[in-house]
Amino acid sequence: MNRLLALSVVFVALAASAGAQVGVSTVTTYYRERGGPLENQVVTPSVRIRGDIRDVAQVRAGWEADVVSGASVAVVDNPGLTPDVITSATRYDDLRNVASAGFTLRSEFASLSADYSYGNESDYRSHGFRLGAATELFERNTRFEISYGRGFDQVCNLAQPRAQEAVDRQRLPNSDGCFGGSPDRESLDVDIHTFQGGWTQAWTPVLVTQLTFTGQVLSGYQGNPYRSVWLGRSAAQEFHPENRQRWAGGLATRVYVRPLKGAIQLFGRLYRDTWDVTSVTAELAWEQTLVESLRVRVRGRYYSQSAAAFFSDDYSRFPRGQYFTGDRELSSMDSWVIGGSVRYALPPPLEERTLEELSFVLKFDHLRYDFRDYTYAGAAVPNDTGIALTFGLDAQF
Amino acid sequence: MRSLLVLLLVSLSACVTVRPEDKEFLADPSMTFGADGETQAAEEHVLTNREGSFGAGGVSGGGCGCN
Repeated sequence: MNRLLALSVVFVALAASAGAQVGVSTVTTYYRERGGPLENQVVTPSVRIRGDIRDVAQVRAGWEADVVSGASVAVVDNPGLTPDVITSATRYDDLRNVASAGFTLRSEFASLSADYSYGNESDYRSHGFRLGAATELFERNTRFEISYGRGFDQVCNLAQPRAQEAVDRQRLPNSDGCFGGSPDRESLDVDIHTFQGGWTQAWTPVLVTQLTFTGQVLSGYQGNPYRSVWLGRSAAQEFHPENRQRWAGGLATRVYVRPLKGAIQLFGRLYRDTWDVTSVTAELAWEQTLVESLRVRVRGRYYSQSAAAFFSDDYSRFPRGQYFTGDRELSSMDSWVIGGSVRYALPPPLEERTLEELSFVLKFDHLRYDFRDYTYAGAAVPNDTGIALTFGLDAQF
Repeated sequence: MRSLLVLLLVSLSACVTVRPEDKEFLADPSMTFGADGETQAAEEHVLTNREGSFGAGGVSGGGCGCN
């Protein structure tokens, strides 16, 4: 990880010494989910550096982390803990580091890009590769973009006999010994293929749309190894299908309203996967330039999804075939986001200055979730609201 | 299928009518997809970790394309 980061920084520094324009950006997000004993918080800092060489190439490198602290319910729907199931939640802390590097080659009307990322946490590792291509046509009114991503992930689990029935498997108690050759730990592969295509079109001087399609194929272990589900007589580690195919299509529209010097931004998305989760997303935003360097944006987002085919809130009474899950993300849910952002860019300085551009962004989102069918042994989900605060800074030298 | 293709080609050829000198408003950051790429990625990170869906959140580009 450190070697990759150091190599990337040296690479960009070399680009800078070759006359490249260098940019540095940092974004930090603080997310807090309120809910008494199940309160969670995540701090996600990131730094990215890029070097642009005469409009023909860009090299970039970055680092991102997730610092997580919270609590989780180890055995979902265990009646033995009712009504104290939530207050008996176990605390946990986790740290995820991701280093990335990539480059883009550009010609007048097309670009090719490649990126690599490495993620590391105590119980999960990932290698990700991404290749992308984009072209612009019709006096740059039309842009097509495609990309393919390949992920080679590994998740740590409790070593258990392969032939063991799913209902007898035990959850992973902690990450001690993971990826360290410990005989009671094993690593399981997760293979990920992601395809994406986008078509952006300027229709009139004040109307632009973007159509996006994403397809993803996952195979391997996709459950949470720490989580067990109460099955009636005993609890077993949650058991998900090993294969999942996901598709999503989105349409975004932006209309510039000249008298107000602002833009209406609309977005809609449909999603479906082979676990029978379907969802719809709708977002409406307004972005306004107040003065030349100051922009504000307000938005509202609504999201609704159906449950996975094998989801049940009580497997002891309503089993759903051979699979079982305690994951609330696989239950039916609605969510609402209301938020806004302020972006300020310092006015352009004189040409001879080293710092060419400097901008700041501050965002705030309030999130609310409604889990229609998910309970902790009959107790409602307590942590169903959250706030996300983001601060970003971008400098161009 | 053929009519869809014809519609697509007609639509695309019609776009040429937005000439570079008419792209003042398309060049505004509020009209450019992915202009807030990194903060948007952070926002996606928060949401996709708490929802069962993924993808089609948009790509970069669009807007002016004047450069």
